Amino acid sequence: MTTKTLDTVAASPGRRRFKGRLGAGTTLAMLAVMVLLPLVLPSATLATEILIFAMAALACNLLLGFTGLLSFGQAIFFGAGAYISALAMIHLNAGLIGALLIAVVSGCVLALGVGMLCIRRKGIYFVMLTLALTQMAYFLAYTLSDWTGGDNGLLDVPRPPLAVGETTLISFASPLAFYALVASLFALIYVVARRITDSPFGSTLLAIRENEQRASALGYDTRLFKIMVFVLSGGITALAGALYGMLLNFVPLSNIELLMSEQILIMTIIGGTGSLFGSLLGAGAIVLLGDLLSSIWPRWMLLLGVALIAVVIFMRGGLWGGLSSLLERRRGSHTKPHKEAGHD
Amino acid sequence: MTDVLLETRDLALAYGAFRAVDGVSLRIARGSIHTVIGPNGAGKTSLFHCLTGERRPTAGRILLDGREITREPPHGRVGLGMSRSFQVTSLFQELSVHENLRLAAQGIDGWRALNFWQRLNKRREHLARADEILERIGLAERAGVAAGELSHGQQRILEVGMAICPRPKLLLLDEPTSGMGIDDIPSMTSLIGELGEDHSILLIEHNMSIVMSISDTITVMNRGQVLVEGDPETVRSDARVRDAYLGEAA
Repeated sequence: MTTKTLDTVAASPGRRRFKGRLGAGTTLAMLAVMVLLPLVLPSATLATEILIFAMAALACNLLLGFTGLLSFGQAIFFGAGAYISALAMIHLNAGLIGALLIAVVSGCVLALGVGMLCIRRKGIYFVMLTLALTQMAYFLAYTLSDWTGGDNGLLDVPRPPLAVGETTLISFASPLAFYALVASLFALIYVVARRITDSPFGSTLLAIRENEQRASALGYDTRLFKIMVFVLSGGITALAGALYGMLLNFVPLSNIELLMSEQILIMTIIGGTGSLFGSLLGAGAIVLLGDLLSSIWPRWMLLLGVALIAVVIFMRGGLWGGLSSLLERRRGSHTKPHKEAGHD
Repeated sequence: MTDVLLETRDLALAYGAFRAVDGVSLRIARGSIHTVIGPNGAGKTSLFHCLTGERRPTAGRILLDGREITREPPHGRVGLGMSRSFQVTSLFQELSVHENLRLAAQGIDGWRALNFWQRLNKRREHLARADEILERIGLAERAGVAAGELSHGQQRILEVGMAICPRPKLLLLDEPTSGMGIDDIPSMTSLIGELGEDHSILLIEHNMSIVMSISDTITVMNRGQVLVEGDPETVRSDARVRDAYLGEAA
């Protein structure tokens, strides 16, 4: 049996070895990017913003790129994570870990509800349900202005230190220290997400993306898998939202707007669906572009539209797809590139 | 008395007033190749949908190995020992041939497939099963190729290969030769014949030469009901069968 397994591996050695190298390569590249970001960019705050949105895009990618679920509901979890963690810190005096944990748990619970409701329908109806729920969440946040600050946003959100009892271990008051916190959390999530996408669960998600009817006929309870990936994605997105609140010391109402869902989706698509590293590229590109262009030209979002159209038409694999095919060509690999498992 | 693996009792499926399946009672013997044929609109596909769980019958019961499975969802039937292929090729197009088969073998895990921390190569039994089926269906050379890049004939073979991965007690094959070129059909015929040696098979098929050469029992359906049942010789010589098919031709 083992020799047989070796034979089949040997049948396509080039691709497999390439894929393995690329896999280890992206993790290293990711670490390198995280160390370099605050050094290269004008501020650590900007670098932090990139990683927070990369986290949200990565979570969105688990739905869109790995399971084929186009959800406009990500703002619900992002906004809820931001509001709930901020409220827990303001009213319940929650510490850093407590606030982040509350955000993750509430994100998971909300995603469980949203997921269970939305996956009852497929295709366009699924998308419409996620749209409707995001609108509801927005108006809920708008109406509950005693808690959320409504249009003005929730002010005076603290950025608590890592503390045991009364003793402060690490303060995150400086932008660089907070960046280090966000970077460590992002690295952790990235590694965990990679592990998950390489697991039986992750491989089944790809099967559902490719052909849900067949997956179901093979014995997979596809609804259960879709709900689980929703919960996972919701938890990560809520964590990103909570960190964003701490970064800004403020939770704007726009965190829970439909526009936030769109932005997260655009980052995911531009970066490359089905590639976790792509999410970092996509978030980086959009946040940087926004930062650069918004000071020059207030209607810069127009250019974002053009960029999205270009990627969708000319670069189906997004920035990651473009980059990896470039790498592959430079290696002089003769094997025709195709997605073996659909991800890096 | 023969050992019955799958039994339907007065199975019916109605779409409004139209009764697509109208009181069908089948008994499929363990270890046999049992074929359902019939003119277009006879209710073969509707019957198949009831057996796979895609449609819930409006009346009647389905028993697998004596166990009631009438209301079991499609994914639940795999664990109970039933596996199916599709009439219209239904693969994971962008995934490799090997991965298609591995996923097919992993489906039997049920809840355990939700494991999100294990590495895939730790589940050796699924890898080994995929390799074994690759050899069996003669696609070992193409293991690393995306399923969508196979020729149509090879895709049809992979389609059947995926159905046998979970080691089913009963294999449901829905027109396995559908859309296949004349040159590819013999390889499918011999594959099904071989599978019949260690599987019980329920086959729906249009190609008469296959039906007559490999079936142990043939059930002829017409207008949602069983018209005739028997071995190939009996069915071939039955006047009612000729009428049903001639009626279609006329």
